[in-house]
Amino acid sequence: MPKFPTQEWASEYVEKLNSNPAYKDAGKNWEGDITFVIRKDDSFDSDAYLYLDLHHGECRGFKFSMDSSVVPESEFKYVGKYSNWMRLINKEIDPIQGILTGKFKLEGSMMKIMKFTKAAKEMVSTASTVNLE
Amino acid sequence: MWFFRSPSVVFGEDALSFLNTLDFRKIAIITDENIKKAGLLDMLRKDLPEESESMVVSDIPEEPTLSDIKERVAAVREFAPDLVIGLGGGSSMDAAKSIFTLYERPDLDIYDITPMVKLNLRNKSRLILIPTTSGTGSECTWAAVLSDEDHTRKNELASPEIIADYAILDPALVRKLPGGISRNTAVDAITHAVEARSNQWRNYYSDIFAEKAMELITRSLPVVLKDPDNLAAREEVHVGASMAGTAFSNSQIGLAHAMGHSLGAHFRIPHGITVALYLPQVVEFSETEAKDSYHALMMKMPEKYRKGNLADSLREFFRDVGQPLNIKDCNIDESEYRENMESLISLAEESTGGVTNPREASSSQLKILFENVI
Repeated sequence: MPKFPTQEWASEYVEKLNSNPAYKDAGKNWEGDITFVIRKDDSFDSDAYLYLDLHHGECRGFKFSMDSSVVPESEFKYVGKYSNWMRLINKEIDPIQGILTGKFKLEGSMMKIMKFTKAAKEMVSTASTVNLE
Repeated sequence: MWFFRSPSVVFGEDALSFLNTLDFRKIAIITDENIKKAGLLDMLRKDLPEESESMVVSDIPEEPTLSDIKERVAAVREFAPDLVIGLGGGSSMDAAKSIFTLYERPDLDIYDITPMVKLNLRNKSRLILIPTTSGTGSECTWAAVLSDEDHTRKNELASPEIIADYAILDPALVRKLPGGISRNTAVDAITHAVEARSNQWRNYYSDIFAEKAMELITRSLPVVLKDPDNLAAREEVHVGASMAGTAFSNSQIGLAHAMGHSLGAHFRIPHGITVALYLPQVVEFSETEAKDSYHALMMKMPEKYRKGNLADSLREFFRDVGQPLNIKDCNIDESEYRENMESLISLAEESTGGVTNPREASSSQLKILFENVI
């Protein structure tokens, strides 16, 4: 079972995202890329980046790295500390409430992403289905 | 972690006179022509602080667009008020919130009114909202709805910073409200209460406000419709609507609002009618995920409307007060409705209400829900 966040986790996540019909449906009109930014904290000692190229309900490609300089620039960034990412994956935090309570930060056009909250929620739900070490 | 947010609320007979006690010097009043014609603007002006100077923007259209707001904010900027008052229904109060924001921060884009952006308002002025209908709840919420230029989309703008400093609930302002508007706005408030109480974001505070709102409105709306001069009943519906606004503002709207906003963007029908049209369908669809919430709400309704479950109880109540339960009764042409089906679904899917509803609906489930009111 892959550990979060690693290349293996990212790979399994993308596979599950692409086979999630609810995400395919909710993201069918979405065009744009997003990077999950995992900030180091007491439980994890390095920043990590997962770039996702999302297009019409499909993840066409991804790039995982601990080095921000090798990850492509993206239209959106969803940024949070490692411990909050773990809580999000364990469904202890709602992705939108996470932003409203300051646990996560969203960078990019708010109006655009607010129209795709269902797709965003499916992306998080999918993360919860990746078994963790 | 979560929050409870609300303006300070002044309510009851003579609540408008509270304005007299405030120390503001330059007051911008945002309202519409009907409010002016009905004499409600004059009522308000009598209660403004004696030394104050005021300017009035009295031409807010129904369902204002983004450019309606931009056009009107220039005059407010020139006047440089220290208080902005929104007087009217949802359109005027939402316009006041938007004008207040752009007056405070001319550098902002209207689309910046999202919970994710720190607006840093209240450097020049404060905001007071005074409803003249009993339904929208806008006086207590952190949301504002503005239409796109072609009215094909309703933009749900939201920020905790656009909550009013004070909400003033004076039943004298709704005394002459026509029966049809009293009903259409109150069923909107019922929808707020139901969706707030059952939402995935519901919490201790929103539950209490939603239940009390349900009790007040379902008890007193039928009285108001039969006896419009019954001020005690008017006050209960007025306060109940405001409490329903507080409830959903601290929880969320749900699928009935997502669908209603979509219908309203396609067909120019009063907002309350559109959301309440879908409410029984949405309640039925979500029953498995919100049984306890729905039961608690049903038990707040007068006994004569209770029919074993909330969906049927709402239908019974809506029939009694004359709220349409199908598109025919909303004067919507069936073939036109069907022609717009894909677009209706697509717009509904873009609303956050669909995500926080107790049960999420896929596109095909949404289609069935839209078809169920034909």
